[in-house]
Amino acid sequence: MKKGLIAATLAAAVLLAGSASAQIKIGFHAPQSGPAAADGKSSTIGAEIARDWINEKGGVLGQKIELVIYDDQNKPDQSVPIANKLIGQDKVVAAISGSYSGPTRAAAAVFQQARIPYISAYGVHPDITKEGNWAFRGVQLGQPQGKGAAKFIADKFGKVKVAMLTMNNDFGQSIAEGFKEEAQKLGLTLVKEYTFGLGERQFGPIVASVKNDNPDVIYAIGYYFVGGPLVAQVRAGGLKQPIVAAQAFDSMKLIEIAKDAAEGIYIVGGMDRGRKDPADFQPYLAEFKKRAGYDAEAVSANCYSAVMLMADAIKRAGSTDPAKIRDALAATKDFAMLTGPLGYFNSVGELYSPLEVTQVKGGQFVGVTVIDDQAILAPPK
Amino acid sequence: MLFVELIVKGLVYGCMYAMMAVGLTLVYGLLRILHIAHAGVFALGAYMTVTVANATGSLALGFLVATAVSAVAGTAIYRLAYQPILHHAAFVPMVVSIGLFIVMQEGFRLIFGAYGIAFDTNPWYVANVSLAGISLTYVEIAMVIMSVVLLVGFGLFAGLTRAGIGWRATVTDPQMATSFGVDPVRVRYVNFLFGSALAGIAGGLVGLLNNYVEPTMGGAVSYKALAIIVLGGLGSVRGTLIASLVLGVVEAFGAIYLADIFDRDAIGFLFLIVVLMVRPQGLLGRG
Repeated sequence: MKKGLIAATLAAAVLLAGSASAQIKIGFHAPQSGPAAADGKSSTIGAEIARDWINEKGGVLGQKIELVIYDDQNKPDQSVPIANKLIGQDKVVAAISGSYSGPTRAAAAVFQQARIPYISAYGVHPDITKEGNWAFRGVQLGQPQGKGAAKFIADKFGKVKVAMLTMNNDFGQSIAEGFKEEAQKLGLTLVKEYTFGLGERQFGPIVASVKNDNPDVIYAIGYYFVGGPLVAQVRAGGLKQPIVAAQAFDSMKLIEIAKDAAEGIYIVGGMDRGRKDPADFQPYLAEFKKRAGYDAEAVSANCYSAVMLMADAIKRAGSTDPAKIRDALAATKDFAMLTGPLGYFNSVGELYSPLEVTQVKGGQFVGVTVIDDQAILAPPK
Repeated sequence: MLFVELIVKGLVYGCMYAMMAVGLTLVYGLLRILHIAHAGVFALGAYMTVTVANATGSLALGFLVATAVSAVAGTAIYRLAYQPILHHAAFVPMVVSIGLFIVMQEGFRLIFGAYGIAFDTNPWYVANVSLAGISLTYVEIAMVIMSVVLLVGFGLFAGLTRAGIGWRATVTDPQMATSFGVDPVRVRYVNFLFGSALAGIAGGLVGLLNNYVEPTMGGAVSYKALAIIVLGGLGSVRGTLIASLVLGVVEAFGAIYLADIFDRDAIGFLFLIVVLMVRPQGLLGRG
């Protein structure tokens, strides 16, 4: 009894001491309600794992990391007040977006003005980093992703005829642009380009028309929840051509939805789940599954890596002064992200990172090759 | 060949729209309410089908539960949300309906998770028959058969049975029907039961077709079904059926030839605007 009392007092003292010690506050916003809530939930879990693991190892500069998390509902009119709140009220020294391009782009302007370093973990719109030199992007822009896909198709299948199926948003269009540019250089023939909306789930007409075009390869750009029904309907329509897909197909949900029809499809910019490096990759997959109850996909890994990168920059800066953190971020070299090594940031905060190509085999994403070509993947300025 | 295949695919999707839109048009015909929450019932049907089918391994049981739950839910919406405010201007129930739909969508997200659910086993999903170069999956075939059977059944009910005739009389002239001994409240219940059951079945079928049931799946359907009932000349069942099939086909062609300018979900509205400019009363409405 007495022992228990002492233990409890000690525990309380430790807790009190913990809360009294200074914390390094990093802002984080992601959609936790509304249609984008699924990705927002994964993003947040990814970021929280990074925070917990950093703190378990003693934090940064002897202080604990605190994530100040807000729900931006995937709306720019929410992310702007959130950014202001993070800066004015919460006094964060740095911030991370675990959200899509719209809210991220709007918040980037606020952080730029307040001179707070900001990482867009997976938002791909080019304008996010164009706000100035305080924003960085933890993922490739659409254009290099599209160029990489063209290179992969040309290397793997030769100078073939390709039908391209693109989602009609910023994400889809920027990848499609890069693809078309590089495809032409590499001698690929684009037989036809189809576009569809984010909400599209019925691809019967497009499949019928692609059948008519009879391409050698089908290149599909879209999110996994569009991609699942898409590949299944392509196969149900009797098309047997290889399917090459863009990064956002990378989700175990894709395989769950498309089932056997997902077998064999290639994903340029995918995440090889069997990879052994970096050392925290396999533990991360296990921890994510434990916390979320479903398998990790790229967006969560991007957010984990963004938090890790920010902590690393603070450590290298040796200070919590936002200007010094920014400089340290800009000077990042060869940082191990879960999605692949970050080579460097260019002058506008775009990263260079090789693209992994995976294939669905036996219901798993398996690594096929890595495209590491400076000429193609160099970030545009 | 592509031309024929696009028509066929369009008609298949048209059958799905028909199952959704008939319920809406019935409600409008009877109560003059734009029942947006009908799309929530549609998604509820899909969720019931997928959860029961995954839990028990029986698709048939999934559809049975989905039909029953959707019918009850739709009727409850009438009893609890619409009936107390029927005496207000028409926009009041509509605002309630929109609010209800949002609540249902967020409810699905909270209960079933933000990520959608796929069927554990969906044998009809990719399996298909190919006739003259046109392939149709078993789900698509089931959708056509189901919609034809249910809608023909409804037609027979409305045309031949005493309850059906009473229902039609109530739609045409509620006061007169009442004075001839038809119970208008009972007619309303039958109306919501049948329309909501249809929507629930349509939801389950669309879930199978996409092999994916998601919280927002009613979204696109809700406003498309509205466009359809306006096209069909508000309250006309025959007009609604024709408008559904026509919209399905127009969308199928639009997805190929207009997609650079509009996505498929916008085409319905373009079509709606064009039709209303020429025929303000809708395709079959009386001028």
